[in-house]
Amino acid sequence: MASFVRLSSVCHRGVKPLFARNTFLPRELLACRTLREKDCIQSSVQIHASSSSSHSAAGSKAASMHWTGERMVSVLLLSMAPAAYLYPGPAVDYAVAAALTLHGHWGIGQVLTDYVHGEAKIKLANASLYTLSMVTFAGLCYFNYKDVGICKAIAMLWSI
Amino acid sequence: MSIVCTHIGRSALAIRGCGAMTMVRYAQTAAAPAPAPRIKKFQIYRWDPDTPGDKPRMQTYEIDLNTCGPMVLDALIKIKNEMDPTLTFRRSCREGICGSCAMNINGGNTLACLNKIDTNTSKASKIYPLPHMYVVKDLVPDMSNFYAQYKSIEPYLKKKDETQEGKQQYHQTVEDRQKLDGLYECILCACCSTSCPSYWWNGDKYLGPAVLMQAYRWMIDSRDDFTEERLSKLQDPFSLYRCHTIMNCTKTCPKGLNPGKAIAEIKKMMATYKEKNMSVS
Repeated sequence: MASFVRLSSVCHRGVKPLFARNTFLPRELLACRTLREKDCIQSSVQIHASSSSSHSAAGSKAASMHWTGERMVSVLLLSMAPAAYLYPGPAVDYAVAAALTLHGHWGIGQVLTDYVHGEAKIKLANASLYTLSMVTFAGLCYFNYKDVGICKAIAMLWSI
Repeated sequence: MSIVCTHIGRSALAIRGCGAMTMVRYAQTAAAPAPAPRIKKFQIYRWDPDTPGDKPRMQTYEIDLNTCGPMVLDALIKIKNEMDPTLTFRRSCREGICGSCAMNINGGNTLACLNKIDTNTSKASKIYPLPHMYVVKDLVPDMSNFYAQYKSIEPYLKKKDETQEGKQQYHQTVEDRQKLDGLYECILCACCSTSCPSYWWNGDKYLGPAVLMQAYRWMIDSRDDFTEERLSKLQDPFSLYRCHTIMNCTKTCPKGLNPGKAIAEIKKMMATYKEKNMSVS
């Protein structure tokens, strides 16, 4: 759980400066469509002029670390299948719960970044996503603690 | 005398032979039935911003394929020349080297000059401008965002030490030069970028496959000194990481290039490059 919080805080911090940095291409270009063509040419000149200067603030590796983290969790999750088969028990149960939640959290996060536009909507979507992930993780932990655990539960599917 | 005779005789023979051949040719033409017209329908997106209140519509043109060149661009030029001079589209080289005539033909982005007309006359060919671009008129999209993005990756050689500039050539090994094959051929027609759903939704912040492939082309150029800086410019959730390996880009590329692979290579480099090599420039 601790690692989950730490990793997601890393990827969250990465987002902010980048939003600020990238404003040169963004929606200002869209805004100018409604104006006359002459204005549009002017504003695209401004876009060109600002593009070289606004980039220099880079330095954080947050985005690529997030990507690497995603791949690692995916591979880890795959390797947990044989582990759960060979050594079912509380340790694997909780590991699967954490990895599954994190994998889902990041995966849905990508979908939200793709499709949710507008500052207020992004905030709302992120809040909902965190709530969903927390509830998922809590639910899985509760299931591990009070019931048979994830490994056993999946094994029981075969005995139905 | 006899020589002259033979000569005349030979040429007479030649003329006769020629006449016989012409007759045979006529006979062949007469025997073959006149080619039936192959009328092909083209449905083309039309929109004129100068007509107030004009709404986008599809206009159908009928062309006899027997009197038209084989490519879609030939058909478009024929329509513009002979049927409707108001039809507007970009074209220049007509041989797939300029990238001007990129458009959406029968649901796929290609160059009209490299795309053969579907000879199945029972189905109409549909031609739209590049998808999800602002339309200037008819088949002409507004490319200014695309070009601004291309400019933002600084697509030119950058050296840390500029004192040697222009004194001698920057040499490259054969192997290093080969790394650029499959990248430098890009003509920036924007077929790939405009086929990418990620670019449709986030075209303002995601650079798109065409621009990213050129970014990669300069990253791996052995003569360029700014690889790490180029990589670090992509450190945000949008510029690069909106690519989800959908691979529409590679599928649609009219030049047969592979932008999807180039982006995957960038992602690999992003995960491994060292920041300590970077200068403060």
